[in-house]
Amino acid sequence: MRRGLMSWSREELPASVLDERVARLRAGMKHEGLAAVLAYTSFAEPAAVHWLTNFTPYWSEAMLLVLPDEAPILLASLTPRVHGWIREVSHLGEVVSAPRLAQGVLDMLAGKGVQPGARLGVVGLDSLPAAVALPLMKTWGAAAIVDAAPMFAAVRQPCGKEELALASRALAIARRAVAEVPDDVRNTSALAAAIEASARAAGAEEVLYRVAPDLSRGGALGRLEGEFPLGAAYALELSVAYKGHWIRLGGSQARGAAPAGWDAAGAWFDDSLSRLAGRGADGLPAAPAGASRWSLELCTGVQPLSLARTHEREFVSLPPGSLAVFSAHAELEGGHWYRSAPLTLGGGGQRGQVLRG
Amino acid sequence: MSAQLREERGVRLRTAMEQAGLDLLVVTGNAWRSDYLRYALDVTPMEGQAVAFVTANDAWLMVETPAEAERIAAEQPGLKVEWRADLLARVRQALDAARPERTGLAPAHSTPALLARSAAGAGMQAATALLDGLMVRKTAAEADRVEQAVRLADEGYEVFRAAARVGRREFELVGELEAWLRTQGCPENFMIMGSGGKEVRTMRPPGERQLAAGDLVTTELTPCLDGYYAQICRTLVLGTPTREQLDSYQVFMDALEAGIAAVKPGNTHGDVARAQNDIFRRHGLGEYVTSKYTRVRGHGMGLYVDGPHVLEDVDLVLEPDMTLVVHPNTYHPVAGYIVLGDTVRVTAGGCKVLTRTPRELRSAPAGLA
Repeated sequence: MRRGLMSWSREELPASVLDERVARLRAGMKHEGLAAVLAYTSFAEPAAVHWLTNFTPYWSEAMLLVLPDEAPILLASLTPRVHGWIREVSHLGEVVSAPRLAQGVLDMLAGKGVQPGARLGVVGLDSLPAAVALPLMKTWGAAAIVDAAPMFAAVRQPCGKEELALASRALAIARRAVAEVPDDVRNTSALAAAIEASARAAGAEEVLYRVAPDLSRGGALGRLEGEFPLGAAYALELSVAYKGHWIRLGGSQARGAAPAGWDAAGAWFDDSLSRLAGRGADGLPAAPAGASRWSLELCTGVQPLSLARTHEREFVSLPPGSLAVFSAHAELEGGHWYRSAPLTLGGGGQRGQVLRG
Repeated sequence: MSAQLREERGVRLRTAMEQAGLDLLVVTGNAWRSDYLRYALDVTPMEGQAVAFVTANDAWLMVETPAEAERIAAEQPGLKVEWRADLLARVRQALDAARPERTGLAPAHSTPALLARSAAGAGMQAATALLDGLMVRKTAAEADRVEQAVRLADEGYEVFRAAARVGRREFELVGELEAWLRTQGCPENFMIMGSGGKEVRTMRPPGERQLAAGDLVTTELTPCLDGYYAQICRTLVLGTPTREQLDSYQVFMDALEAGIAAVKPGNTHGDVARAQNDIFRRHGLGEYVTSKYTRVRGHGMGLYVDGPHVLEDVDLVLEPDMTLVVHPNTYHPVAGYIVLGDTVRVTAGGCKVLTRTPRELRSAPAGLA
């Protein structure tokens, strides 16, 4: 669950920006002939609703209902006692208690005069939880409910200057947390504790880490459960959220001299980041190692970061101006190596930028 | 988690599948609802959806990204893990190829719609009940794990209490506790809190509010250790408690004691809730244990919040080695929102209170941090 700082700064993210995003969605709705759009949110799938309203549930779940002519309505399974908190941190119209989300949506649609059987779009219909999806489809008619994920993805990017600034703040939190890890850190518990203390005190909403404790033995980045000793070289990937804006920052750390090949891999990574920010993902040169791989992630739907492209293939299109995370892994003579960093993608004559934090 | 406990759970699961006539059990999960997936394969997704397949002699996992696949394969070298960017479509194909009457799909609440709409979706409630039964009715080894997590909850609460000082912001307080939990190898913690006076009606995530002298500071702290969660609920006062606060708090002490006294084999969750609520009603505070305020009087503890809540109309019968938190948390019109809760383990003759933190209303210094 989320247990860091969850808040809304009207200075960092003015209500007018959220209104403009909803307007973009409504334009898509009109184009697609949709009477309403629904977006589900839990802390595992928070991104669509957060982008539209700044709301992320710390726990439990909710549905956002966007109609053509009034402020977005939140139907929340959370206790009504936290409705005051929801209003503090979100830009919403009505906030309605809905222990049974599907029934809450159906009642609200009826109350707002949406004609039964009118076309509804759901952002991420395939992954919508069964307890919401099945009653909704049964009552409204499955044929009238369509997946609004492609339409949402089309309006979600490129990122605006406010999103960029908030992501940069998340990156700054991550960079500082890494810098504050003691040089003599010897195990994953001490590493994680140093990261948590720094990141959460700086206002991180969430911090997730994956660690490869000993790069001479393996490069897989693992979840920390229990304690593991750190080798002479280890890799750390931080995923940090600041007020709902996610970035990743990953790097390989060595006590003493860097293993063979790290400098060349690092130079390739920096060059690739510049190329991605300049021209996009096409034509990226191969990494200077036989067994290397890379990926690009960005936010297209309900998850903060989704896989968009690997060194082998593209899964979703990468619009210029999208906020993305580039990650690369290589097996070098001296062991494994890993890095990741955020950027905005270039392409189509448009220049992006590598985030500095 | 130990290989022995993983094996024990696997044997129980396959026995239950055989009794239910299932050849294949498909279990879905994500970072929010991973408890069923962890029971089935001891897998905790960090991002995206994950789907476990369990048969009588085999098990494998499908996830959405190469990063998750690589991570989980490294954590469990014996487990077959595959990633597919179009995960749900692939799993739907697998479900469509299976015999629906011999295939279980769970959990019914959160399984993605594309899978729930397969023929196997018709049996989701039964498959979920099968898993719920296993997760709520724990083995002694599982209850032992909850006991270990309680130690962490007790120690963590002392860290929280020591960090609660006037002038600190709520999120800084929680950050200090989270850092300490990581030093203990604890990967996850469910936690909400509140601070202030009578105007506070609930707990929520930490905000930017600075703690002030005289505040009631409430928290529900729920660390996870080795996959199992335990919860403690406590209230402290920054400064010396007032007579009104102490008198109000006594109702919660009495309610907790009454609730715990009702935890024994053969009694139900409803009995435990009623015992607590009767104390409030006896003090003329019955309104404050209804849905208008807070009506949940506890819940199971295990791989997550186990089974149904502790409510007066819940007829789940308690059995030895079930573990639950008993908490008469609610608003008191004189003092404000108060929480108090202990984790207990059902025994043959009653229950063992696992939480060791003192129950009385404790204070923290009212000086500046």
